[in-house]
Amino acid sequence: MTDNFYIITKKDLFDLFERFSKDHRVFVPYAKGDRLHFEEFDPKKEDLIELGGIRQSQPFKSFLNPAREKVLPEKLADNRPMIIAGVKACDLASLAVQDFVFLKGECEDPFYSENRANTIIIASDCTYARETCFCLAMEGAPYPKVNFDISISAIDDFFLAEVSTDKGRQIINDFKTFFSACNPRYINIRQSNRDVVTGQVRDFIQKRGTKSASEIKGAIAKNYDNLELWKDSASTCVECGACNLVCPTCHCFMLYDEKQQDKMKRMRIWDSCLYNTFARVAGGANPRRHLYERLRNRFDKKFEFFPQVMNYTACTGCGRCVEACPGNIDIREVLKGAVLGKWEKPPHK
Amino acid sequence: MKNPYSYIEAEITNIVSETPNIKTFTLKPKGDIGFRAGQFMDVTLPGIGEAPFTPSSNHNIKEKLDFTVMSAGRVTKLLHEAKPGDIVGLRGPYGKGYPLNDFKSKDIVIIGGGVGLAPLRALIYALFNDVNDYNRIVVKYGSRSPKDIVYKKEVESWKDAAKHVEVDVTTDIGDDTWKGNVGLVTTTLKNFTFDVSNAVAIVCGPPIMMKFVTFKLLDLGFKDSNLYLSMEKNMSCGVGKCGHCRVGPYYACKDGPVFTYDKIRDLPNIWD
Repeated sequence: MTDNFYIITKKDLFDLFERFSKDHRVFVPYAKGDRLHFEEFDPKKEDLIELGGIRQSQPFKSFLNPAREKVLPEKLADNRPMIIAGVKACDLASLAVQDFVFLKGECEDPFYSENRANTIIIASDCTYARETCFCLAMEGAPYPKVNFDISISAIDDFFLAEVSTDKGRQIINDFKTFFSACNPRYINIRQSNRDVVTGQVRDFIQKRGTKSASEIKGAIAKNYDNLELWKDSASTCVECGACNLVCPTCHCFMLYDEKQQDKMKRMRIWDSCLYNTFARVAGGANPRRHLYERLRNRFDKKFEFFPQVMNYTACTGCGRCVEACPGNIDIREVLKGAVLGKWEKPPHK
Repeated sequence: MKNPYSYIEAEITNIVSETPNIKTFTLKPKGDIGFRAGQFMDVTLPGIGEAPFTPSSNHNIKEKLDFTVMSAGRVTKLLHEAKPGDIVGLRGPYGKGYPLNDFKSKDIVIIGGGVGLAPLRALIYALFNDVNDYNRIVVKYGSRSPKDIVYKKEVESWKDAAKHVEVDVTTDIGDDTWKGNVGLVTTTLKNFTFDVSNAVAIVCGPPIMMKFVTFKLLDLGFKDSNLYLSMEKNMSCGVGKCGHCRVGPYYACKDGPVFTYDKIRDLPNIWD
């Protein structure tokens, strides 16, 4: 039962990162104010690394499907394998959607596919929750359950490591001296730590009355023609697209061609369905001419389209869009409005 | 690596000015790229951008593809400035073609509006490849004015393909030279008898025309599943990944761009 569990000290873990950084790109979360950002591992900044905490500012998709990626001519960019450490469960959950879009269907997206295969995911537990966290409502949890190679959980001044895949097992085998046997007691400590944070998320959800994935089922379709809901919800939207960019499940992109010294270059750039041009055709027809229609489309895509095509709700409860929106549009409140038939306009800041 | 965003080169070998703002470009692909009538391709102006078009030529001819293009946006405006000999890019084909096997032995009513006749021309030539497999082929084409008629020289000759082929052209407004029908394309469906139990209708044109033609055909007794409508949305990647052309649970690029009406009837905003 404890075969998949090991102990590693913080010093050994950082040494491991340093060893890996010779032939890998290693990304770890750094604390900046009360936020965490992924940056490339720098041994001189070890004391700023925060492997606990909550999800980082960048959605995990940015490693697999970067915001700007050259797709033509085919890249000669840095293709060293990546190790990403400190990935949180809400981002791991988003991989179901990204994998569905980029690995399945008509064809595989070779750029995503290569990045995905070349990435080792070292996930970690959330060590606290923020008010915007609602993973539990979206059938997630504040600790890794799926889609990771190794997970690490802080216990006192060391980490409990759990192996989940062959890739993860390989690391343990290659660096045996860094990992030691795990006393089953630590698994219990990990569980009680997880219970504490789970309780915090549950409290936030209850206090706000955030609706769960099962309660939301079909609510957007049912409210499709409830124009007041969409118009009120979009009343403070400034079409910045921040909600799309920070969302770990949003995947839409545009292909953008440019000339560089007479050579053509095709970029794949994240796009936003809130932009007026997103669905407009050259002749001028636009199925989503109004801003409220575009906001509604965002909800329709996440809570109707993906459940229909892959039986998965494309929101992981990370809460990034709630924090990013300059118009204070809160996905939890819009969903509540759709379920309860009662809502308020987003408050101005 | 199979890169879905990559294209092959094609040379422009001929350009025909159809109307003041519509041209037909004949492209000679420098590689193997075919299509079935109804499928579309992305045409790239290298370094400028790309746009989706349904080829308008006979799908049995792979060496020469026609694209009939209205100057409407950034890419098409620049494409209209192209000259024979210029090189463009081609990728595709994407989407589902017309199910020709399902059309066999049936009455086929093809209704086009404006530049919407382009994909229908590919269908018409595909039907003509085995013209006797179909019971009756009726083409109804409407353009805004006589000078907006595309394939002017060809359209009238289509009825010579076989005895059971009929062609009816109308323009919204006439002029001194125009001897044909005047009126919207829907007017050509009045007093017209179809055996709706054995007929399919294929419609392509501007959204407003598609809407009224569809309602007219439903009035005439056509079944939803026998109406084939072109939902040409803002298709970009062509493979259902970029998200732009979503129509309800479908992407127009991979599930369409032609849908039978029963599939889309209950979806919101289909005529916009």
